[in-house]
Amino acid sequence: MLHRRLYQFLLIYLLGLAFILGLKYSLSLSDYVIPAPVDIWETAHEVFFRYIADVLSTLKVAVIGQVISILLAVFVGVVGRQTSWLGSFVKVAAYNVQAYPIVALAPIIFILLGDGFISRLLIAAMICYFPVLLSVLGIMSEPVSDVEHFYTTTQRMRWQLEIKIRAFENLHKLTTVIAGSATLAMAGTIVAEFIAANAGIGYSIRIALYQSDLAKILVALFLIGICISFYQGLLEWTGAQVKKMWAGIG
Amino acid sequence: MLLDCRDLTYQYPNAEHPVFKGLSFKIDQPGFHALFGPSGVGKTSLARILTGNIADYSGKVIRDDTTKLLFTYNFERLPDWSVVGRHLEKITPPSREELKNDLINIFGLTEIADKRFSSLSLGQKNRINLIRYLVQDFDLLVMDESLANVDEPMRETIILKIKALFPDKYFLYISHNVSEVSKFCQQILVVREIYKQPQIVFVSGRDCTAAQPLQTMDVEKTMLEVMNAS
Repeated sequence: MLHRRLYQFLLIYLLGLAFILGLKYSLSLSDYVIPAPVDIWETAHEVFFRYIADVLSTLKVAVIGQVISILLAVFVGVVGRQTSWLGSFVKVAAYNVQAYPIVALAPIIFILLGDGFISRLLIAAMICYFPVLLSVLGIMSEPVSDVEHFYTTTQRMRWQLEIKIRAFENLHKLTTVIAGSATLAMAGTIVAEFIAANAGIGYSIRIALYQSDLAKILVALFLIGICISFYQGLLEWTGAQVKKMWAGIG
Repeated sequence: MLLDCRDLTYQYPNAEHPVFKGLSFKIDQPGFHALFGPSGVGKTSLARILTGNIADYSGKVIRDDTTKLLFTYNFERLPDWSVVGRHLEKITPPSREELKNDLINIFGLTEIADKRFSSLSLGQKNRINLIRYLVQDFDLLVMDESLANVDEPMRETIILKIKALFPDKYFLYISHNVSEVSKFCQQILVVREIYKQPQIVFVSGRDCTAAQPLQTMDVEKTMLEVMNAS
């Protein structure tokens, strides 16, 4: 699971790199536009440790943002699953608010909170939050009649049991959503850093962009891909372990 | 009397015609009764109305507020997060622990207590599901094809045991097995297509018990009556 994620990324990255280099040599583009492989290699040597630290800083913000958004989404999803007016209100509000591109609010956040850690975290959490919320709402609002009937009819059903049943029956979906939301959180953090933050790999990419240094950007993309693939693989592996322990299946 | 149903009409949401119309009948004697009829005549819907699982019908179901009605069907599942033995332990009232163990023995399920529900055969799943309802407090239990995929000798054993263990309770057994309902049931409520009137017909079953074996001829006669009525 973990290694599959990594080699899938490596394959896609190498294909992308080959395409860019193919473009360079077929159109005879200068090293200033697309650097030669040796330049990319040298740049990688030069910036590797600095960029790794930047990627880990970004990943740290993304992970914290993702955890916050998952906790919030589960809480709101649990409230929104109800057939009461509050549940309906939460559902309608969630579906409408998520239609707005949250990233467009980033400048307001930077103006109000500055360009530090909190702004990056908030944007990461907001970008990650709504897709997770919609999935959790969908899962929690859908009764699992074949399992729930007994508890309902014998008046044993409690809200905790209802959530447990629905979460258990949709464990695979939840794991997929959580693993997928890691990419969203990472993207949100990078976008935030790219817009205005003063740290992280998005900030480094912004500087590389001002320098028109594609080699640095390619190295940054490689490190982002490796780290996020590793993190997603780890999430999927954890999900599989939880399923194994909870359901007694591999 | 347990249930008095008057002029029941029910239409599926978005359907053009009602599935049944103007059904009136009473269930006034405890015992093992059957709800019989071809597929699509509304047996399950009728059972769900009786047990309060469907509310958007017209007509009246008169019953005492204290009457405990349960409905079980053959696609129900136990959660798979622990083994079936543990599930049964959790939902069995302490006073019925002995009954539960008795039922597990009779239903031939002693070997599966440490297995998870998803790993059981269909017949085992249905039997385990039925046990968890039988150990509850109820006045009427509707069993919608609850013994599907269970082999015939075991079904016979189970039905006879239920009749012996719960002589004061009401059972409504939904089945497509005409010989089974004719042989074991006391009253057979035959539900017919909507264009046939009356839409519900009562046939007396043979109400066979372990102590009272039957003549094949008698069962065949009841089977004919049921088939003619349906």
